[in-house]
Amino acid sequence: MEYLTHHLLETSASTDPSKEALVHGERRLSYEELDTLTTRLANALIDAGLQRMDRVGIYLEKCVEQVIAMLAVSKAGGVFVPINHLLFPDQVDHILRDCRPQALVTSGARLESIKGILRNNADLGAVFTTTASDVSLEGKLVLDGETILARGAADPPRSRVISHDLAAILYTSGSTGRPKGVMLSHANLIAGSRIVSTYLKINSEDRIVSIVPFSFDYGLNQLLTGLEHGATVVLLNFRFPNDVVQCLIDERITGLAGVPSFWSLLAQPSSSLHRHEFPRLRYITNTGGAMPQPVLAKLRESLPDTDVILMYGLTEAFRSTYLPPEELDRRPTSMGRAIPDTEIYVLNEHGKPCAPGEPGELVHRGPTVSLGYWGNTEATNRVLRPNPMSPPELRDTEKVCYSGDLVTMDEDGFLYFQGRRDSAIKSAGYRISATEIESVLVAIDGVREAAAIGVPDEVLGQSIVGIVVPHDGETLEIDEILTSCAEKMPRYMMPKHVEIVADLPKTAHGKIDYQSLRSRVNSGGNPSDES
Amino acid sequence: MSETANKIRKFVIGRFPLAQRGGLDDAQNLLQSGIVDSLGILELVNYLAEEFDIVVSDDELLPENFSSIRSLAGFVERKGQPTGATD
Repeated sequence: MEYLTHHLLETSASTDPSKEALVHGERRLSYEELDTLTTRLANALIDAGLQRMDRVGIYLEKCVEQVIAMLAVSKAGGVFVPINHLLFPDQVDHILRDCRPQALVTSGARLESIKGILRNNADLGAVFTTTASDVSLEGKLVLDGETILARGAADPPRSRVISHDLAAILYTSGSTGRPKGVMLSHANLIAGSRIVSTYLKINSEDRIVSIVPFSFDYGLNQLLTGLEHGATVVLLNFRFPNDVVQCLIDERITGLAGVPSFWSLLAQPSSSLHRHEFPRLRYITNTGGAMPQPVLAKLRESLPDTDVILMYGLTEAFRSTYLPPEELDRRPTSMGRAIPDTEIYVLNEHGKPCAPGEPGELVHRGPTVSLGYWGNTEATNRVLRPNPMSPPELRDTEKVCYSGDLVTMDEDGFLYFQGRRDSAIKSAGYRISATEIESVLVAIDGVREAAAIGVPDEVLGQSIVGIVVPHDGETLEIDEILTSCAEKMPRYMMPKHVEIVADLPKTAHGKIDYQSLRSRVNSGGNPSDES
Repeated sequence: MSETANKIRKFVIGRFPLAQRGGLDDAQNLLQSGIVDSLGILELVNYLAEEFDIVVSDDELLPENFSSIRSLAGFVERKGQPTGATD
């Protein structure tokens, strides 16, 4: 019976040990090899002191070791925390301080870049590196992962957790504050895998390319659906759209998943996608924001035999809705309806169901509702609440997830995205809080106050505008502000434009009035179309 | 060459400020250092289209054309016979 995340791998490894499980460039691992390597690392983690429920940070670019590490942590009874490889030391530091991992898996080069923040981290006991490293950290074990994977003990460790236990923490942003860790149990991850693979009809013949990071629920889910069904998962880091097209051809890919900005990249007029045929490509899926209609039309033209499946999910409920491909012609702007074994309510501000067409908040009920935010009960209680639709006797038996997304439902139960209830920015598939950007802006010399807002952008969904107020008598240079930002934050968080203003509009309570700021920028009060 | 390279340099500095770290050298590799990511490539392509009226095909989206300011400028020079207005 599969009830822990790594069981998905173990079952496929015993069904067809020699089946190709994982591909990355020249490296190809069978299910049996993947399972053995995972066991060796799990044993090494336990030997290094990992206790049940201890967190393990995994800070790597997409690679075979990243997958091995996540599954090994599950085998060892720990909690894996994938850290987006694009994050800078400052953001990594926040995550490590927040979830206090006992161990970290990273590469030699990355360890070099973050060794400063690790020295003062008292909870961290061991660091495993995928490539050679001569970094030494006083009081901490630095272990060469390569040796472990080649020679470690190969008997599986005794199981120490059950399906209700925490399996993973995925960091995501809200509208304010720093990123919060969404806690997902093994039961959440397995339910997500079962549900999504049912409607995508994943099977052992599938060859799925993985582009979306595993720190993103969608990327993690994609991997698990592949492992569950003994399919082949091809890991790809790409720079040019043609890298993706070539991979689709060379690896005979059957399934591809992306976020809207990725599709814009792939569907641009010069793309070689339009010059090839992909008879094996069974489906593509989109999540992380609405796919622009012209992009959708182009993809459908170039991929006439491929199902296009539009999906929606938020990390706090893992996966929520999908639009069956046969509905795409009728409702191309819909985000679909509830995934199997899930109910979606649209509730108005009094907590009552909305009439068709009436905007309300999307509320998710089902087995993928997460356990809440790590170490933040207050924020958890805002998002996960008793089910208002249950009879009173049952109300406290489960929590439903209030998404913060405003939607409408049509007569047939299909949903349409309308906007966010709060001021969270959504860009290139990432949810970004204004606070994260503002904290970097105000730390710049000469900046007294700062705000960040999202404005519509054809490719990114929203792009970020930073607005700064100089200290009295100081002059600020836009170029210098952008450079300071670039040194402190990954590209997806970077403001596309910066405006310098004398003051920020405030609400009666003295807080930044984002609404008026947005309308000021949108109405062209300042140049905001092109740089 | 230098006029083209100057324009590109200005754009790269504006959009990819990390390129400036340690002084931007026209031969510096923009791809390996992670300064320009996949979405950044798209921005560069759009910029070349607007500024130099160059349509970049996917076959030309190669590291040898996009890896540095120098290679970008060389690519633009090779592609961009001044066509001017066509109608």
